[in-house]
Amino acid sequence: MNTFKTLAAIALILGFVSCSNDDDATPLLEVETETVANLHAPQSGGQGQPVSGAFTKFDFETGAETTSETDWDVAFRGTTIIVNGGESQGTTDEPERTGDAAVYIADGTMSTVTDVDASLFTQDSASGFAIATGSGNGWYNYTGAPSHLINPIPGKILVFRTTAGLYAKVEIISYYENAPAEPDAFSDATPYYTFNYVYQPNAGVTTF
Amino acid sequence: MILNSKCILCFIVGVLGVYHVQAQTSVPVEKQTDSLEEVLITATRTQRQLSSLPLPAQIISKETIAQSGSVRLSDILAEQTGLITVPDYGGGEGIQIQGLDSQYILILIDGVPLVGRSAGTLDLYRITVGNIKQIEVVKGASSSLYGSDALGGVINIITESPQKPFQSAINYRGGSLNSHDLSLNTGVKEERLALSLFANRYSSDGYDLDESTSLQTVEPFTNYTAQVKGKYDFSEATSLLLSSRFYAQNQEYKASEILSGESDITEWNGQVLFSQQFTDKITSTLELYGTNYHTESYLQDEEGAENSRSFYDQTLLRPELRTVYALNDKHNFIGGIGYTYESLERTDFSQDPVFKAPYVYVQYDTHLLNNLNIIAGARYDMHNVYRSQLSPKLAARYKVDNSLAFKASVGSGFKAPAFRQLYFDFTNATVGYTVLGYEAVPTAIAEMQARGELANIIVPVSEFDDSLKPETSVNINLGVDYKFSKLLTTSLNLFRNNLNNLIDTRIIATKTNGQSVFSYVNVNESFTQGLEFSYTYNPFKNISFSGGYQLLFAKDKEAVEAFEAGTVYGRTSANASAFVLDKKDYFGLYNRSRHTANFKVFYNLPQYKADVNMRATYRSKYGLSDTNGNGYLDNYDTFVDGYAIVDFAVNKVLYKNITLGAGIDNLLNFTDTQNVTNIPGRLYFAKLNLTL
Repeated sequence: MNTFKTLAAIALILGFVSCSNDDDATPLLEVETETVANLHAPQSGGQGQPVSGAFTKFDFETGAETTSETDWDVAFRGTTIIVNGGESQGTTDEPERTGDAAVYIADGTMSTVTDVDASLFTQDSASGFAIATGSGNGWYNYTGAPSHLINPIPGKILVFRTTAGLYAKVEIISYYENAPAEPDAFSDATPYYTFNYVYQPNAGVTTF
Repeated sequence: MILNSKCILCFIVGVLGVYHVQAQTSVPVEKQTDSLEEVLITATRTQRQLSSLPLPAQIISKETIAQSGSVRLSDILAEQTGLITVPDYGGGEGIQIQGLDSQYILILIDGVPLVGRSAGTLDLYRITVGNIKQIEVVKGASSSLYGSDALGGVINIITESPQKPFQSAINYRGGSLNSHDLSLNTGVKEERLALSLFANRYSSDGYDLDESTSLQTVEPFTNYTAQVKGKYDFSEATSLLLSSRFYAQNQEYKASEILSGESDITEWNGQVLFSQQFTDKITSTLELYGTNYHTESYLQDEEGAENSRSFYDQTLLRPELRTVYALNDKHNFIGGIGYTYESLERTDFSQDPVFKAPYVYVQYDTHLLNNLNIIAGARYDMHNVYRSQLSPKLAARYKVDNSLAFKASVGSGFKAPAFRQLYFDFTNATVGYTVLGYEAVPTAIAEMQARGELANIIVPVSEFDDSLKPETSVNINLGVDYKFSKLLTTSLNLFRNNLNNLIDTRIIATKTNGQSVFSYVNVNESFTQGLEFSYTYNPFKNISFSGGYQLLFAKDKEAVEAFEAGTVYGRTSANASAFVLDKKDYFGLYNRSRHTANFKVFYNLPQYKADVNMRATYRSKYGLSDTNGNGYLDNYDTFVDGYAIVDFAVNKVLYKNITLGAGIDNLLNFTDTQNVTNIPGRLYFAKLNLTL
C-alpha cells in the first residue's frame, strides 16, 4: 500500500483564519490530504453465493490499514463498505462495531464539500449498511454488459465521523488495481481501492 | 420444430406444374421515376398519393429492393433516410425512427400488426422481402389510426397480389456465411379470382465477430416463410380476401462452452377481409385477424441433461369493421370499430395475462380548398388493465404551386405497458437479482418477505396500488417539399416528440444476498427533435442520385435539468477526481447518433440490359452505456465511433426471363466486435431471378 502525503491549500487558509480570529489558542493541526492506493479488500463468495472473508479495516488517524478489532473507522470487503458504528448485519466474518463512527454520502466534489452536516450521519444497522450496497445505491455504479465495470459514482463524497469523533471526507477513485485510466473488468484485478481523503485532525472543527 | 424443406419444394414445384409455363416478356427493371404514381395506404387507411400527403412518409418499391439485392427487411430499411437499424442483445435487429426505438414503432404486414417482441424489439431480420410489393413508412405518431405502439412511426409491408393471368418467379441469393435465400412466388389472376403463393427458405452459418469467446455472435439458423393469399370478387361490389402467413426458424442456441441447445420460433398470421361496396360512396370492410408467436428454447450440458427450458406464446385476435364514406372528391370519411384480444403465456410470469381492448376511430380527409388538404382524426382505446386513451391527430398540406408545398401535423401516440412490465416475475439464477412486473409486485414481495429474502424495502408496496400508465407522446412535424426542377426534388421535415410517462426500471427492495429487486415505474419525460432532409436528383435519363440526412437530439428532461443545476459530475478518465459537468456536456439518450446520412446512386444501362448501384449509409458516434458511472451519457463517456457502410450491387438481364445479379455488402469491411453486433464483415453474394 502506497501512501502519499501532500500539503493542502485549505490547511493554509484555515491557518490564516484561525490566526486572525484567536491569537491565543493552541495552533490547529494541519488538515491532512492523502491518497491511498491499492487497498486490497478481497471477499469470498458473491454472485448469489454467501459472502465471507475478513474486512480490510482502515484508520484515518494513522492513515493506514489496521487489524485492530476496535481501533478502526471504515472497512472494505468487495464492493461493501462498513463503518465502526451501529449494528452488525451478522454476515460471515463481519466485525462487531465497537465505536461510534458514522458516515453519509454528500453530492459534490472534494473542493465543494467543505462542511460537515452532523445531522446526516448514519450508522450500519440490521436493516442495511450506512453506505447502501448495490449498483447506483451507494458509492458505485455497475455498467453491466458488455464492459461489466464497477465505477465509483462521480460526485459522491463519503463524509465520515471517526471513532475518535473527528471528521474525514473521502472520494473513491478506483476499484481496480493501480487505478488504470481505462480499466478492463476482464483483465484488471479487483477489489483494490484507490481513494483520496482529507482528514480533519482537530476536535470540534467541522470544516475541511 | 424443424421443417422439411424438400416437402415445401415439392409442393411448390407441384403447384407450378399445374399451370402451363408461359413465357412472358420480362418487365424491364426500371426505377419508378414519376413519384406522382406512388400510392400508399398506411397514412390514412385509404389510397393516397404519396406526393400529396400532409404527413412525413416514404415508399420503398419492389424495384429498389430487387436492385439492392436485399433479402431481409432490416437490410433495406437500414438504407433509408431517418431509419436506423439497431442491434438487440441476442442478434435481433430493431428500428429507430425520429429517435424513438423499436418498442415505439408499429410493424404491420398488409395493415395488421406483427407481435412477438424481445424486450420491446421486433426483430426485422425475421421478415423476408421476397414477396413485397412495397414498404410504406409513415413517420411520427399515428395512434389516431393504429392505437398502441404507433409513437415513432408505422412500417407497413404490403405483399404482392397477382397482376397477370399467370406469373411465377424463382429468386435465389447465395453468398458469404454460407447463406442461401430461396424464394418462390406464383400467382394466378382470373376474372374473379386472384391466388398467390409464396415460399421462402433462408439459412446461414451466422458469424462470429469475437473469436476469443466460444460463442458465435450469431449462431447458425434456418428459417421458412410461406404465405397463401386468395381474393375472390363475388361482384364488382363484394369481395373476400383470405391470407395466411407462416414463419418458422430453428437456430442453434449456446450459453457457454458446456451449455448448448436450440431455439425455435414459429409464427402464424391469418387475415380475412370481407369488403362490401354499398353505394358508390360507401364501402365497408370486415377484417378478422389472428396471429400467434411462439418461441421455445432449451439448453443442455455435455451429458445431455437439461439445464433450462423456456417458452413464450403470444396470441392476438382482432376483429375490426371499418367504413369509408367518400362524399365526393373533396370530402372523405373513414371510421372503424374493433376489439383486440391479446394473451401471453411464458416462463417467469406471475400469471397468464389477457388484454382486452375495444377501440373506435374516425378520420376526416378533406381538400377544403384546391390547394389545401386537411386530415383530422381521433381514436379512443379502452383497456381492461390500464386507463383509456384518446389519440387525436391533425395534419395539413398547403400547395403554394407545383414546386412548393408546406406540411404540418400534430398528433399523439401511446404505448400500453407491455406484458412483461406488468407480470414479469424473474430471478436471475446465477447473479441473484429479481425483476418484478408492476402488477406482480405485491404478491411477490410478500412471498419474498415471508421467505426472509429481503433486507430492505425501498419503495413501499402501497405505491403499486395505482396502475402503471401508458407511455404517451405528442408529435409535431413541420415540412416543406420543394421541386427545384423536374430533375431535383427536395424535402425537409422538422420534428419534435414530447414523451411522457416513460416506463423505466427502479430498485424497489434490496435482498439479503446483496442484490436488488427491480420493478417498473412511470418516471421519465424525454424529447426527441431534429430535422430530416432528403432529395432525389436525376441529372440524366438513366442515372438517379438520392440521399438524405437526419439531425437528432434525444434527451431526458430530468437529465437536462440536472446538468443545468450543476448536480452532475464526471471524470476526465477513470482514475481522476470528479468535477462538475457543464450543461453542454450532456449528450442525450443512449444509442442515438446526432447525424445519420445516406447516399445512393442507381445507374441503368439499357444497352446492356443491366443496372448497377452503390448505396452508402453513415451513422455518427453514439453511446451505449454510461461508462463513467454518473448515470448519464455525457461527453466524458466512452462512445461507439461513427461508421459508414457501403453496399454495391449489379444486375443483368441474361435472357428474356433470367436476371443475374452480384454484389458486395459492406464493401469497406467495417466491423466493431464489441458494439455493433448486427454488422458482419464484407459479404459477397450472387443472385438469380427466373420469371415464368
